[in-house]
Amino acid sequence: MKPEKINRIALVLLSAAALGLPLVVRSATYLHILVLLYFYAYLTTCWNLVGGFAGVLPLGHAAFVGIGAYTSTILSLQYGVSPWLGMIVGGLLAAGVGILIGLPTFKLRGAYFALATIAFSEGLRVMVENIDRLGPFTINGPRGLQIPPLDTGLTNFMFAGKEPYYYSILVMLAGVLFLTYRISRSKLGYALNAGGEEPEAAMALGIDVARTKLIAMALSSFLTALAGTFYAQFTLYIHPKSIISLDLSFEIAFIALIGGRGSIAGPVLGALLLRPVSDFSRIYFGDTLPGMHLIIFGVVLILVMNFQPRGLQEPLTRLYQKVVNRLFHWGALEAAR
Amino acid sequence: MKILDVREMTKTFGGLTAVDGLGIEIETGQILGLIGPNGAGKSTAFNCIAGVFPPTGGEIYFNGEKINGVKPWTLCRKGLERTFQIVKPFASKSVLYNVMVGAFAVTDKTAEAEAEALAVLKSLHFESRKDVRAGNLTIADRKRLEIARALATRPKILLLDEVMAGLRPAEVDEMVAIIKELRDRGITIFVIEHIMRAIMALSDRIVVIHFGRKIAEGTPDAVASDENVIKAYLGEEYVVS
Repeated sequence: MKPEKINRIALVLLSAAALGLPLVVRSATYLHILVLLYFYAYLTTCWNLVGGFAGVLPLGHAAFVGIGAYTSTILSLQYGVSPWLGMIVGGLLAAGVGILIGLPTFKLRGAYFALATIAFSEGLRVMVENIDRLGPFTINGPRGLQIPPLDTGLTNFMFAGKEPYYYSILVMLAGVLFLTYRISRSKLGYALNAGGEEPEAAMALGIDVARTKLIAMALSSFLTALAGTFYAQFTLYIHPKSIISLDLSFEIAFIALIGGRGSIAGPVLGALLLRPVSDFSRIYFGDTLPGMHLIIFGVVLILVMNFQPRGLQEPLTRLYQKVVNRLFHWGALEAAR
Repeated sequence: MKILDVREMTKTFGGLTAVDGLGIEIETGQILGLIGPNGAGKSTAFNCIAGVFPPTGGEIYFNGEKINGVKPWTLCRKGLERTFQIVKPFASKSVLYNVMVGAFAVTDKTAEAEAEALAVLKSLHFESRKDVRAGNLTIADRKRLEIARALATRPKILLLDEVMAGLRPAEVDEMVAIIKELRDRGITIFVIEHIMRAIMALSDRIVVIHFGRKIAEGTPDAVASDENVIKAYLGEEYVVS
């Protein structure tokens, strides 16, 4: 068997497992945890377009989640617009905001860029918390918006059980992973990587680094906002603290750094590792040691950065390659016999 | 025909004049050497021409078109390409990946960029290292990678900023041969270099600058025996009169 074929079989098996999981996992709690796991893997994959490929460290992506969630929710509650349409509107709005943030901040380096993005997203949260009505739109300040679970069904992006949500976010995750894969092998991907690693050399080689970063930022914020709509429809209740919080932005960065930024598998691996830690520490220590998961994240991050600075994806990818090679040679031997 | 024509170029940083009324002309297909003592303004002149920063005064013409303040990425697409004195490989990526970044300047398709990059690597006898991570290369190979990447953008003129610094004598000879081969392929070469043996062997003409000003210009032999040049390099008392 050729390595490519083994890769394809592994991918098919993985997809089958992901599709079949709700048949095995019947508990609503566990399904909920899985949905959030995919949700974070999705967000981190979007973040990775900027934070990984473009080589900067944005720490304000929660702002885009918030823009997506609020836009589609306000449109559906007050104007009866389908959340699917609201999702696109929110995405476009977020992309515009992403470009506006990117224009001045991409000139900043390292920590300064990170701080600027934090400042922006915190600013947005404080504004939303303090505004009850913005023109014709009801925002409801800190009380947030509740979506009454009346008309369930696909057109309203609202379901009675957890399974439809599971499949929605799974499809979204698969889509964004495929997109990332394609981008990483395209001119844009090469330009982003080059500009992130050695901007001066990239410019000399014909790359308008600032422009490619803006394209990545627009794409990343658009896709991130889509997840915001998903989250609103999934929990049916959004408020500034839940959705534009720094916790959310930080958790995305944690997942990316530990999983491996700039790689395709990294965000998914990071979410697989950290989300259960986050959820179970909340279940078991929620009343005694709230915030325990952040301490655990910190410790894991220190360990990973010390021993695997490129994240967990690197040793795992190497291990996988080894297994594939072993299978390939074993297959060749069998065939020769 | 003059491919590059620099007239009265001046660059000041605050009160410091790094390049002072410099004029340089390069004919298509020539190799022009730019030499001068440390701090003479060679790299600053290069940076102005390559669009890193605009000159304070004067004009730069590339193929008859004024390129003052044109950005590096636009210059690259027009056919003016440079390498860096301090090499800047995309260290975490393979050699092939590095060269493909350059090749994307002439194509949008990944398969074409890969074919182009492989062809460039082959022409530099470098294809055996294509899967090596750029960060693991020796200094000689990194310099060669700088050239490979630049070549992949299909330049008309190549600005080489000290591509031989830090190389062993045998490697210098190899690099001289490579650069001559590039010229034979029709690429005009503008080279800054400190290694005199190399620059003398390479250049058709040499421009010498000191404190940002041109102090001599001519064939390698003429420049080497120029009184002003010897003064600039060795000091007043070494001039044989």
